[in-house]
Amino acid sequence: MAQIEIRDLGIDYRKPKSNEVFSAVDSVALSVEKGEFVTIVGSSGCGKSTLLMAVAGLVSLTRGSIEIDGKQVTGPGPDRAVVFQEASLLPWRSVRGNVKFGLEMQRWNGGDLNERAMQMIRLVGLGRFSDYHPHQLSGGMRQRVNIARALAVDPEVLLMDEPFGALDAQTREIMGAELLRIWERAKKTALFVTHDIDEAIFLADKIVVMGRNPGHIKEVIKVDLPRPRNEAILDSDAFHELRKRLRAHLAEDMSSMQLVQEVA
Amino acid sequence: MRSAEITAEPAETRQLSLSFLRPSRSAVIGTLAVLAFLVLWQIAPTMGWVNGRFTSRPTEVFVAAIDIFRNDNFLYHARISLTEFVAGFALAIVVSIPLGVLLGTSKIARYLIDPPLMALYIAPTLVLLPIMVIWLGIDMAPKIAVVFLGAVFPIVLNTMAGMSEADPRFIRMARSFGATRFDIFTRVLVPGSLPALLTGLRLAVGRAVLGVIVGELFVSQAGIGYQLNLYGSAMRIDRLLVYALIVSAFGYTLTVIVRSVENKVRDWRSK
Repeated sequence: MAQIEIRDLGIDYRKPKSNEVFSAVDSVALSVEKGEFVTIVGSSGCGKSTLLMAVAGLVSLTRGSIEIDGKQVTGPGPDRAVVFQEASLLPWRSVRGNVKFGLEMQRWNGGDLNERAMQMIRLVGLGRFSDYHPHQLSGGMRQRVNIARALAVDPEVLLMDEPFGALDAQTREIMGAELLRIWERAKKTALFVTHDIDEAIFLADKIVVMGRNPGHIKEVIKVDLPRPRNEAILDSDAFHELRKRLRAHLAEDMSSMQLVQEVA
Repeated sequence: MRSAEITAEPAETRQLSLSFLRPSRSAVIGTLAVLAFLVLWQIAPTMGWVNGRFTSRPTEVFVAAIDIFRNDNFLYHARISLTEFVAGFALAIVVSIPLGVLLGTSKIARYLIDPPLMALYIAPTLVLLPIMVIWLGIDMAPKIAVVFLGAVFPIVLNTMAGMSEADPRFIRMARSFGATRFDIFTRVLVPGSLPALLTGLRLAVGRAVLGVIVGELFVSQAGIGYQLNLYGSAMRIDRLLVYALIVSAFGYTLTVIVRSVENKVRDWRSK
């Protein structure tokens, strides 16, 4: 059985002003195998982050169900950890303090908290910076801390919401390769939301392409590129092929968006 | 990892500084200006530019200061004023922090109490002084009440703001790790609102000092304000100035202390 099983998922929001109900995600079905790296890609407003937050248990479902290892998701749980896009490091805590935060919240009792945190900090390559505070770190370093904090609680599933979205292109590439290195060691199931096509392909075993109005899955593409991967793969024919396919999907979405704008 | 990712080294490697031996230009100019003013003030009455009865002289103020510390029951009066200050301020802290926390975390409480609170904050609480005297007499009690009223609102309002303006992304992050409401309160809201609370305390210091002095000026039997009244009617400019300096130094010192704690706590915000 798959590790994550999403069935007929629908999430509605009530707009705060008009009280109008709108559907962020509708009729989504997806299964993710244990140890699989799944990227979710789509243009902004396609509900990809909402989907991820629903798996995290931070958004309540309107229809359908999400199961992890056969257990219904009703809220956050120690089997999942989230790497947020930004600003989720507590500025008054040091790197180590931030990495310990999740462990503290989950009342972790698998040994010394400091040791566990340091282990994770070294894993993401920040050993020297454990006493630094977030404002002393670059964007890339902050996201490493963010990842270390999520890995520290030893989740079954790692949920990442555009973690490299705010980084410059070069740092982003480095972080992508770094994430794969960590993932190959940690062997976690990973759900990774992005709007960057190359990133989506580079990381994935499976790409979920989402479309808008309401957010739905357009296609699930299997990625058979060999692992371990490095930057060289970006120039392979197989990669180009996948890139073309994804571009076409996103272009379709963009043109339908323009149409809506013209009508309005 | 690339070294370009390191944006800031910690400031611990600061080199040994001997800059106090080479005072900055602004310090030199400032000191000279003060000296010039003192000299001018000293000679002006002698030269007949001003009436020394109204301006006194630096030397007279200095002598008055020594006299006050020696013979004026200074410690007795200072103790009275300080007691009023500490009692009123402590009472304000005890009441305002829980109230600020409640208002900052509960929307309903905020809707209920915020408008009158804001009105009271803006209105000078000293207008209530005569009422306090009628209710509480002319002893320390009405001054304590006025100090309390002056200090309580800035602390409540700043604590409330610090609590309610917590970054929702932090709260979501904490929830994702299974944080309870209590965890979120103690680990996210409290540390996050500490700088705002300290700002409230700092603003409260000034109002509290004002409360003590004005309260004593209005009606009292002892205290710094009482002494001010006494020497005011005796036209002792020299002694009045000494007391004015003492009061400002007290308020200034407290403010500086709170501000330095504030800056330390707020350090993480500086980018």
